[in-house]
Parts: sequence; structure tokens; C-alpha cells
Amino acid sequence: MELPIIGDIIRLSRDPKDSLRLSRSNLEFWVNLLIISWAVAFAIWQGVGFAITVGTVFAIWAILSVSLNLVVGFTGLLSVAHIGFFGIGAYAMAILTSDAAYEQLRTEAIPTLGWPFFAALPVSVGVAGLVAVVVGIAFNRFRDDIYVLVSFGFAVIAFNVFLNWRSLTRGAFGIHEIERPAIGGWVFDGELEFLALVLVSLAVVILIAWFLMTSSFGRVLTAIREDEQATEVFGYQVTHYKLAIWVISAMMAGLAGGLFGSWTTFVDPNSFVLMESILLVSIVILGGLATIWGSLLGAMAFVLLEEGMRFLPFLPSEFVGQGRQVVLGILLVVLMLFRPQGLVGRYKL
Amino acid sequence: MLSNFSDRRKLLAVVLITVVTAYIGWKIGQSPNQALQFAFNGLSVGAIYALLAMGFTIVYSTVWFFDLYYGAAAALGAYGVFYLRGQEVLGGQHAVNSPYVNGVFALVIAGVVAWALHAAFYRRLRSRFHPTALRVGGGMLSGAAGVYTGLVLAYPDHIHIALSPLVGVLVALAAIWALQRGCRRIWRDAEHRALLITSAGAAATVGAYCGFLIANAPGAKLYLSWALSCLLAGAVGLALYRGLYVYMRQRARSPLVMLVASLGILLAITAFIVIIFQSTPHPLPEPFGNEPWAIGEATIKGFNVFTIGMAIAGFVGLLLLLKKTRFGRMVRAIGDDEEVSKVVGINTTVIIAIVFFIGAAFAALAGLLSGHDTAIQPRLGLLLLLKGWIASVVGGIGNLYGAIVGGFVLGMIEQFGIWDLAGEWKDVISFVVLILFLSFWPLGLLPKR
Repeated sequence: MELPIIGDIIRLSRDPKDSLRLSRSNLEFWVNLLIISWAVAFAIWQGVGFAITVGTVFAIWAILSVSLNLVVGFTGLLSVAHIGFFGIGAYAMAILTSDAAYEQLRTEAIPTLGWPFFAALPVSVGVAGLVAVVVGIAFNRFRDDIYVLVSFGFAVIAFNVFLNWRSLTRGAFGIHEIERPAIGGWVFDGELEFLALVLVSLAVVILIAWFLMTSSFGRVLTAIREDEQATEVFGYQVTHYKLAIWVISAMMAGLAGGLFGSWTTFVDPNSFVLMESILLVSIVILGGLATIWGSLLGAMAFVLLEEGMRFLPFLPSEFVGQGRQVVLGILLVVLMLFRPQGLVGRYKL
Repeated sequence: MLSNFSDRRKLLAVVLITVVTAYIGWKIGQSPNQALQFAFNGLSVGAIYALLAMGFTIVYSTVWFFDLYYGAAAALGAYGVFYLRGQEVLGGQHAVNSPYVNGVFALVIAGVVAWALHAAFYRRLRSRFHPTALRVGGGMLSGAAGVYTGLVLAYPDHIHIALSPLVGVLVALAAIWALQRGCRRIWRDAEHRALLITSAGAAATVGAYCGFLIANAPGAKLYLSWALSCLLAGAVGLALYRGLYVYMRQRARSPLVMLVASLGILLAITAFIVIIFQSTPHPLPEPFGNEPWAIGEATIKGFNVFTIGMAIAGFVGLLLLLKKTRFGRMVRAIGDDEEVSKVVGINTTVIIAIVFFIGAAFAALAGLLSGHDTAIQPRLGLLLLLKGWIASVVGGIGNLYGAIVGGFVLGMIEQFGIWDLAGEWKDVISFVVLILFLSFWPLGLLPKR
């Protein structure tokens, strides 16, 4: 049983059940077609080997953007802090599984535990979740632009901890020789096996997000986004709901971080700078707020944008990242002018 | 629930203040000279934060959304000086001068001049001249301004010669204005035309002499570059408001839309800066006053004293502008209620555009001053933006007094905080300060009434 007025609030936004449906209007259809055909053409053009690498990058970004969309799109909290949890996951993985045999090459000794990958992955998820509980309790009272500012703050603090807590993270040197996952004697050394692992994780994340958003829990989150005070009046503990989704989303980011650290076998603070976090938010907004499909599409467009730009004749290869940033920035402005819900979004910012 | 909370908050606030005061007192007792040194550092850093926070505050308290272009303006200010004066550092190794950049800024200036001419003169002259004639005339004038900007940017080595006519004209205009005001007070009934001719002659002489002085002073190049990059960053801010934000604000449902859009602008401009200048840090040429003065056991550079002076001068200037002039009254009216000020006949678009110009120029000034203090890097924009934002929160959002107090307080806390920690933790300290302030004093030190 649900109260009638809460139902009205929820009906103001669209039913979360159609968040996986592909297209709703003409523009959305063409955007979907363009990005998917671009992806397929790219895979055919560059061959399978490169497509596997790109696919892994895509899957990691997709986990991040789906999880961030739970906070930004479904709950309406514009957070730039996500890269911090991503980094926490990656560093937890790095410290736990980094190869102890690499010890003699270390300039700064840090603890090496040499755990197996599958033991370390839950820990990196859990550590991200624990940090998120503390941070979430502190952040729960803020909203709107102040929320953006404090989430900037968490991203900056996390980056500085990665960079400056040298006895744990080796600072700017980074941590090498992070272990690849292995089941028994079968090591996921090949790119294809790793891609399968990442895609399975992505599927799990999507499933969790899907269940969350179609459940009554998700409906309360949507109601919080539409009108926080009204939801509180109906007796929902808004702060608990916000904290819960924040922690879940951070744990997903921790999972992405663990996978990322294991995939590159090397982490350093430069992967977790504030700019990356801003890019992540732009992916979520670009793809579409409050849709899972939109986040996947945004991540796909983002990765393809970078890889596609490598082949532009007039752009030197060291500026590919910058070129992507310029395109994303201009896209954000255009979207905010004409389509504040993003390409296939359900919720207008 | 709220009353419980405020009691607990008050208690926590008192505890925090006591701890901080005790810590600083203990440190001063430990070594007064070092404390003085840290206080000097804090003041000079705080001056930059105060400048940022003031520009931020004047924009925020007018339009009530956070404009992240502000960070890009700080970076544009610093990199503008490097663009113009790059030949003088490292033997011109990293100096850039690209016709595309010059062209973009020429276009921006041409657009801004065209807009300014339209806003200032079109209505008054409409009845006397044919509209086409007005458009052609305005177009030619703004085109000339654009070409002039392009030329100045293309020959940064001769900036003092290229800018001398502009300086002369500006000085002459200011002199005419001052003479008119002064003379009217003294001889109220004097013959108007004779007075005008005399004062115009005097002003033209003064202007020409100033232009001549500037043209013969190569030492002024650096300071002319400062003025030019502040002007350009401000012009970009104005163009962004008039060309983009105006339309966006008509449609936006929440301030977050504007925030995200300006985030996009910040991303794009930062990326352009990296593409043009590379991401490695660059030094700026040494300004005056680089040798440290000793006061007691502590030292402070003359340039830092100048920075503090700039912050105070900027504060006084902004305060006078807001409290004493008609423009300031209009700005405050718009901040109170934009719709009503539109109804009573204030041209809100023009006023807000000018406010954006002022805000961005302040950011650029802060950016280039901090660039002279340390090296410049593309990240600087975002960091300075966040510091200015924090300083204005610490002081009290939307309050000019709060901005200057918050800037200096933040600088002091940061510097005293890294006494025992290492210097690289100062960003962490300022964000922890931010979160503490937002949790316990969300209104800041000097809340806006």
C-alpha cells in the first residue's frame, strides 16, 4: 500500500521501469543508432584485439557511470566525489595484492600482503563502502550547489591522500605489479578473459541498479529527488535513504576501482585527479539522467570519442585527452541549453 | 530536533574555536618569529583568496548561481600574462603566439564592443540617424576594436607602444570627467561651452603626455599585460553571460543547470589551455619587489605586500561601487529580486553582464598575482576557483565583508595548519575547514542579513 500523494510525486517523474527501454523519441532513436553503429564500425575497423581493450575501458567507465547515475540521476544529488571511491577501490586492490617479490625494486617500502584477487575484491568494495558511510553522514545535510562544492572537496582530499600518504601508497611513484585474477591455476592473463570478468561485473552492477530502481526503495529515492520535504512529511527517513544509495553507489565505484587496478597492474594518483571526476559527471549527464541505458550509452560515447580522436589527422596524439575534454565541455553546454535531461534521460536537471 | 541540533552545534563550535585558538597560541608561544613568518605567508595567500572570493561574491549575490567559468577566468588571467610576456622567461623557450588565439580574442572583443555600443547608444541615436547607418557605424567601430586587439596580441613585444594610444584616450576621458565634475561644483553658473573646450584641451594634453610616457617605458610592459589579460578574461565572462547564460537562465529549472553548463565551459577552456601551452608548469616573469624585506626575524616580499594592498584596494573599490553609485544600487536591487527590478525599469541584462565582467576581471587579477607568486599550470584555474568558493563560504556567502574576511581567515588557517603537517596537505586543510564550516556555521563568519 502506498499513500496517494507520494504516488503523485512519483508519477511526476517517469516510471523507473522503462529505464532500460531503448528509445522513446526520434532523437533518442538516432542517438542510439549512431553510437551503436559507431561502436560496431569501430570494432570492425580496428580489429578484435583493440576492440577488447576498448571494451574493457568501456566496461569500467560504464560501472562507474551507472553507479554515479544512482546518486545523480535517481536521487538528484549532483556529486563530483565518485572518483575518490574509485581510487580507494583501486588502491585497496593494489596494496592487498601487489606482488611481494617486487619488493627489492621498491624505493619506498610499503606493506605488501600478496592476497589473491578474489579475496581482495570484496575488501576493496568494502573499504570504499566504509569510507562512504563516514563521508555520507557528513554530507547528508547539504544539497544543491553546496553539495557539489563539498563533493569537490572529497575528491580533492582523496587525491591528496593518494599522493601524499607515502607510507601507504608510495605517492607519485604508484604501485606496480598488481595481481591479475586467478581461479586455481587458471590466471586471467589474456585480455579476453579479463573482458569477460569485467562484463560480468558490469552485468551484476546493472542488475543491482535495476532491482534497486524498480523496487519501492527506488521509488522513495525518486520521490526524494522530486520533493525532499514532502517525502519527509510522509514519514520516510530521507537521510537514511540518501545514505544508503550513496554507500551502494560508492561500493560499486570501489568494485570498478578494484577491477581497474588489476587490469592496468599499476596505479598512481594521476588516474584519480579531479578532472576525471568532472568527466565522469559529464558522462552521466551526457548519457541521460535516471536511466541505466543512458549511462551505458554515455560511457560508450565517451570511450569511442577518445579512441576515435586518435585517428584524427590534425590532432597530435598527446592532445587526444584534451580534445575529448573540449568536445565534452561543448556538448555539456549545448545539452544544458536544449536538452537538460541528457541524450536519453528521464529527469531534467 | 532542530533545537537539539543547534545546541550541539554551538557546543562543537565553541570546542573547535577553543582548540584552534589554543593551538595557535601554543605555536606562537613556541616560536614567535616563526609564527610571524607563517602569519605573513597567510596574509599574502589570503589576499589572493580574498580577491577571488570578492569577485565570486559579487557575481553570486547578483544572479544566485555558481559560475564555474570563474576558475577558467583565473587561469586565463595567469596564462594571458604568460602569453604576452613568455619571451622574457626561460629565453622564450615556451613562448607561444598563435594567430588563432589572437583571432578568437579579437572576435570576442569585437562582439563585446558591438554589444556595448548597442546598449549605450542605439536607443539614443535611433531617432536621429537611419538604423542601417547606425549598424554600419557600430560594426565598423567594433571591427576596428577587434583588429586593434588582434594587433596588440600579435606583437606582445611592443605592447607598450601598441597600447599607448588607448591609455592616452582613457586618461583623457577620465580627466574630462574629473574636470567636469570638479568645475561644475566650483563655478555652477559658468559658461558651459567654454568650460568644455578648456577642459577637453587640458584633458587631451594630459592624455597625450601619459600615452607618450607609456610608449617610452618598456618597464611598463608587464603591467600593461596584467591590465590586458584582466580585460580579456572579463570580456570573455561578459560575452559568455550575454551570449549564453541569458538564454539558459530563461529555461533553467534549477541553478544546477547553470552550474553544469559552466562546468562544461571550464572543461573546454582548461583543455584549450593545455593544448596551447602544454600541461607543464611555467614561470611568469619576475615583477617588482622580489627581494624579501626583513621584519623582525620574519621576511615578506614587497610583491606580497602589494598583493595585500590590491586585495584591500579591490575591496574598497567594490564597496564604494556597490554602496555609493547608481550602478551599485541597481546591482543590489537585482540581487534582491530580479523580476521586480526589471519591472521598475532596470536593464538587468546590461547590469548583470557588467557584473560578470567585474567578477571575471577580479578572478583574472587573483590568478595572475598567484601565478607570479608560484608557477602557473592549467590545474590552477580549478584550484583557485575552489579556494575562492571556500573563502566565500567561510566568510558568509553573498556578503562582501565576508569575502575579504573569509579570504584572509582561510589563508591564515591554511598556513598555520601546514606548520606541523607538510606543505602538500594544504588543499586538504582548506577542504576540511570548508566541511567543518558548512556543518557548524553554514552561514559563515559574517552572515548576510
